[in-house]
Amino acid sequence: MFKILIIEDDKQLVSLLKEHLYKFGYDTKSVDDFAAVRTQFEEYDPHLVLLDVNLPKFDGYYWCRQIRSISTCPILFISAREGKMDQVMALENGADDYITKPFDYEIVTAKINSQLRRAYGTYASSQNGRTTTVAGLTLDVERMSLTFSGQEIELSHTEAKILDELMKRAERVVSRDRLLEKIWDDQAFVDDNTLNVYITRVRKKLASLEITEALQTIRGQGYRLLPIWEDNK
Amino acid sequence: MKLFFREQILLIIFYLLQLLVISFIYWLDGYRNLMISLYAAFLSGFLLIGYLFIRYMTNRSFYQRLEKPLTSMEDFSGDLQPSPLAEGLQRLLKSQFRLYKTDLHNYKYKLEGHIQFINQWVHQMKTPLSVIHLMIQDEDDPRFTAIGDELDRLKKGLEMVLYTARLDTFDRDFYVETLDLQKVVRTVTSSQKRLFIRSRVFPNFQFEGNLSVATDEKWLSFVLTQLITNAVRYTVEEGRKIYFHGYQRGINVVLEVRDEGVGIPSSDLPRIFDPYFTGQNGRNFQESTGMGLYLVKQICEKLGHRIEIESTLNEGTIVRIII
Repeated sequence: MFKILIIEDDKQLVSLLKEHLYKFGYDTKSVDDFAAVRTQFEEYDPHLVLLDVNLPKFDGYYWCRQIRSISTCPILFISAREGKMDQVMALENGADDYITKPFDYEIVTAKINSQLRRAYGTYASSQNGRTTTVAGLTLDVERMSLTFSGQEIELSHTEAKILDELMKRAERVVSRDRLLEKIWDDQAFVDDNTLNVYITRVRKKLASLEITEALQTIRGQGYRLLPIWEDNK
Repeated sequence: MKLFFREQILLIIFYLLQLLVISFIYWLDGYRNLMISLYAAFLSGFLLIGYLFIRYMTNRSFYQRLEKPLTSMEDFSGDLQPSPLAEGLQRLLKSQFRLYKTDLHNYKYKLEGHIQFINQWVHQMKTPLSVIHLMIQDEDDPRFTAIGDELDRLKKGLEMVLYTARLDTFDRDFYVETLDLQKVVRTVTSSQKRLFIRSRVFPNFQFEGNLSVATDEKWLSFVLTQLITNAVRYTVEEGRKIYFHGYQRGINVVLEVRDEGVGIPSSDLPRIFDPYFTGQNGRNFQESTGMGLYLVKQICEKLGHRIEIESTLNEGTIVRIII
């Protein structure tokens, strides 16, 4: 299991990060004495460090240099400063990447995964190949495939994202806004009509696995994935 | 020269009076030789003129200094002749200048401290924002969506404070590089996706060829965010689009942001770039500060971009940034 040291002075943020990283199978520890970050680092010997810039006593750059003098483990800065100079400063002080506040969980996990993969090889990626399973239906988001009773089909990027969201909240309504937000990225801009098209495609993919009528439309609210396929079997 | 004469006129009048009084006393005493009297007056007058001439020559630079207005703060330190008056003036100016300078320095120092405070404060506020942001991220309940919307407003407000404070130290805070215009626009629009989705307004892109621009990414992104916020806010009908059109015009690259919103009344158009001006639309819509377009204009000027705005009531607004 990978160990991550979180050096951040906001307790609430630390606990949210810990909770989230725990779900992804990471062991985490936070620093409580900001005068002795280095000794705590040596004691815990983490695989990766999340480091805030504004800390009591000494700033993050200082601790980054301190850690660099004894270890080469990946260091990710978390900072509110989005300026170019601040990022350059962080990288020059030995950091590997930079996350600006406020951030999404996805960004943190993606950056942590990529740093771990780079530092410790492919072993890391296989551990974090995320799959979601609902009543025998398995979605692999990274490989973009859907498996049901021994049958596997390929999904497009957007279809995988939609299914991921629906399966994570199976039996609950997922609003259209949320789906739109999830599948919207720099390249693909989606409006209402496009979402309808994608939903139809997802239904077709499900139908090819002989799952029909599981993806329901809730008028005025959104969509819901009901695992009714169990009963059909 | 004029000042010198104005200064000495009393002396001349006084001298003439004295001359008259003395001549008159001699006249009463019975001395009636006019030629000698005139000769004495001429000699005495000549001496006076000589005195005035010497006086003017020694203090020439002093009078010139007094007559010419200062062009800058450090202008007074010209080479003055070594006469007591000139040296006195120089000393006075210098001490005054020093006092002003310390005073000015104090204010400058205070202002810088203030900007630094705001900077630090805004960054500190981002931590609670990130906490709330993370807490509501996995929730899909109307209440959390509402919190998310308010959070977005807070974020925008903080950004505006930060950028307004930074505007004064702009020259130390920008970095020009060659950027792909389309990429910048797409990144900014996708950072505003919540706003788009919530308002059911969607972007449309049209970029003619590969448009690269030399500008500062951070400031241009801020400008675009302001324009997008305005465009979305004033588009009242759902299902409308915001059109981003990038094209080459002569040696310039133009980015056009067109909305199908309520438009700006022509009476408001000349003043939209004024600070704190909200106009008719500002009164009808919420959360208008009147600072957005003012900052946009200021930043564009500093970046060396031009900005044009065109609007038809009830049809929409077109904003063009000429880079």
